[in-house]
Amino acid sequence: MARDFGPVLGRRDLLRLGGYGLASAALVGMGASLTGCAPSAGGGGATSGTLTMLYFGDQKAATTLQNALQPKVKKIDKDLNLKITAINGTDWNDFLAKVLTLIAAGQAPDIVSVATEGLQLMAGKKLIMPLDDYVTKDMSTLKSGYFDDIHPALIEAMMVDGHLYNMPDSFNAGSMFFNNDVLQKAGAAAPATGWTIDDFHSTAEKISKVGGDILPFDWVVRLWGSWTSFLYANGGNLLEEGKYDGGDWLWGKAYDSGDASVAGRKGGWKWGAPTANSAASVEALQYVIDLQKAGFSPSPDVGGGGTLQGLFSSARIGMTIGGGFWAGGLHNAGMKDGSFDVQAFPTWKGNKSLFGTGGYSIFQSSQKKDAAWEVIKMMIEPESFDIMFPGNVTTPGRKSLMTAERYKTTGPKNWSVFYDQLDGSVPISAPSYYNALATSLNQRTTEAISSGNAKAALDAMQSDLEKVAKGN
Amino acid sequence: MSSPAISKPHRAVRRLGARRTARREAAFGYAMIALAMLFVTVFTFAPILASLGLSFFDWDVISPPTWAGLANYERFFSDGPVLQSFGVTICMAIAIVVLQLTLGLFLAVLVNQRASRFGRTFFRTAFYLPLLASTAAVAIFMGYLFDTKFGAINYYLGLLGISGVPWLSSPLGAQATIVLIVVWQQVGFTFVLFVSALMAVPTDVLEASSIDGAGPLRTLFRIKIPLISPTILFAAVIAFINAMQLFDQPFIMTKGGPGTATTTATISMYQTGFQNLQFGYSSAIAIILLLLILAVTGIQFLAARKVVFYQ
Repeated sequence: MARDFGPVLGRRDLLRLGGYGLASAALVGMGASLTGCAPSAGGGGATSGTLTMLYFGDQKAATTLQNALQPKVKKIDKDLNLKITAINGTDWNDFLAKVLTLIAAGQAPDIVSVATEGLQLMAGKKLIMPLDDYVTKDMSTLKSGYFDDIHPALIEAMMVDGHLYNMPDSFNAGSMFFNNDVLQKAGAAAPATGWTIDDFHSTAEKISKVGGDILPFDWVVRLWGSWTSFLYANGGNLLEEGKYDGGDWLWGKAYDSGDASVAGRKGGWKWGAPTANSAASVEALQYVIDLQKAGFSPSPDVGGGGTLQGLFSSARIGMTIGGGFWAGGLHNAGMKDGSFDVQAFPTWKGNKSLFGTGGYSIFQSSQKKDAAWEVIKMMIEPESFDIMFPGNVTTPGRKSLMTAERYKTTGPKNWSVFYDQLDGSVPISAPSYYNALATSLNQRTTEAISSGNAKAALDAMQSDLEKVAKGN
Repeated sequence: MSSPAISKPHRAVRRLGARRTARREAAFGYAMIALAMLFVTVFTFAPILASLGLSFFDWDVISPPTWAGLANYERFFSDGPVLQSFGVTICMAIAIVVLQLTLGLFLAVLVNQRASRFGRTFFRTAFYLPLLASTAAVAIFMGYLFDTKFGAINYYLGLLGISGVPWLSSPLGAQATIVLIVVWQQVGFTFVLFVSALMAVPTDVLEASSIDGAGPLRTLFRIKIPLISPTILFAAVIAFINAMQLFDQPFIMTKGGPGTATTTATISMYQTGFQNLQFGYSSAIAIILLLLILAVTGIQFLAARKVVFYQ
């Protein structure tokens, strides 16, 4: 029999086999790469011994943090590992959107960094759990080792409906930074304690006369430290301020009964009906618009603060709103200690100012809640702060960490205002519909700036917020 | 071709062999396209189907989805801001397509007529380069260049006595600036297509038109443009589809502002889904955008039947 169909490997067979081989290799490769992209069993939190945590920052910093914390985690339990996944974002709004996407993808962590912006949303959706039982259980050690050192305003900002959902370790209050070189050129004195909006305005006028490309003031369109700082100082807010009842379980045990800073503290901030177009609000936004019209400030950026930091550190902006995070930020941008300083936000109708705080929460879905709690306690220890936040990139929530030594290299000299400003301050109004609020705030603020009409834009914002609030 | 000298059984064996070869070739062909089909299925068709399904639900990512029927679609037609974002997108897309095609054709004709072979290669590379740059990086960089107070563009305009042009801080300025940036980055693609098409225009036709006394303009409008009209249609369709999905530049440079002046349909979709956590409604917006793009592309093809000349 002729071997017409024998096992001779022809050109087509070779090509075919090659094609199958390539296709198989590609499929295997794709499978392998996708497997590589997906969290490992250990990283997903399903395997015992690995806690996962989401961190606001880049992966390099997250890995550094993970490696730095690992020995401390091993002290808690030698079989316990901590895996920190970074989430990059321009601000907490961005971070929160990405956290929610991860949750949607079924990658909920055990521990998550949560700031004021996301707390009520996460607590309202029962994503994070109340820490009341854990705090009560460890109250004796936490009282002296934590609560005695933390301003109660930060704790109250992390409560919802009487429950504590987060252990804060950092905050940023909206203070006013000023560039000493610019003030010197303008012949203006550094703002003094108790300065007012009129003092701010006269300082701005002096700086405006310097000329060149130096402007007196700049700001960023966002909820924290934006025109909202003027709104708070003007006695207003975007939402009605109120508080949840409850919280006695904490205030009565965590703080001394005579502690004045605890007076009036309740079960967390309860944000009511929108007041975006109140007289105080219109006046505050119109004030910053008029600053721009007068040539006292440039058109502000939306979100983030990178451009503003560059302008301020290159002495093209005289004054701007910033928090303790700017101590490290400006130092890293090349500003020498002494070339900038800070003062509390100027008093207008009052001296109410705003702050945002951040800390750690446990995910309701976590299978290792006890271990997560132990790790959180470790992360809020004083020794952990500089591991968590190297280089003064935020303000320590612990008063004991607010020392001259801390600000010796970075400045500012008047660092004590960061903590002092917490008295009488209110957290940024971040209800469960914070994301929609932030979107509307950004849109309506830029609309007001381009039209020059604060009232019309804030009426529209009021309408936006009423619609969203109704659905929540 | 069969030969009478070959017996019937022999012909049957040959037919069998031919069928086997055909089957093997077909199998090989399917194997070759299997990977591409798998990718398209997993990363294109499946997400479209998933979005279509999701558009009939209310879903905030966190809670389980609940059936909403057509409510998300009904909401779309009464949602002023989202409808406005579609209007913004269509206006900007028209401006982008018109500018991109006109400028691309103008540059291609210029280079094709005037430049040497080296010149053509040089300009093709030069105009194509912006397309290779990351859109996000370009948007960030352009944001600095076009900054009203501190941007380099206004600095140089200031030297000419023009000061404070609100490139990104006025609604019309922001729309125009973004359109210009998109056109600058995309025109290279259109340009390369047109240069290739112009080079493929038969020289005998051009010579004939020249003998008949047609000048450069008449040759362009009566000979070259009709002959490259299929390429123009292709470029128009691609440019329109891209422009309708405009996201990066406005999102990075203006965050959709001032106000909602540069809030495009895709930004609206992003805000609705990822910021307001209304993924069902966001999916409905995506499906409507897809249908709109399909409809306009269909109209482009139908209209092109009358003006596109296929050789």
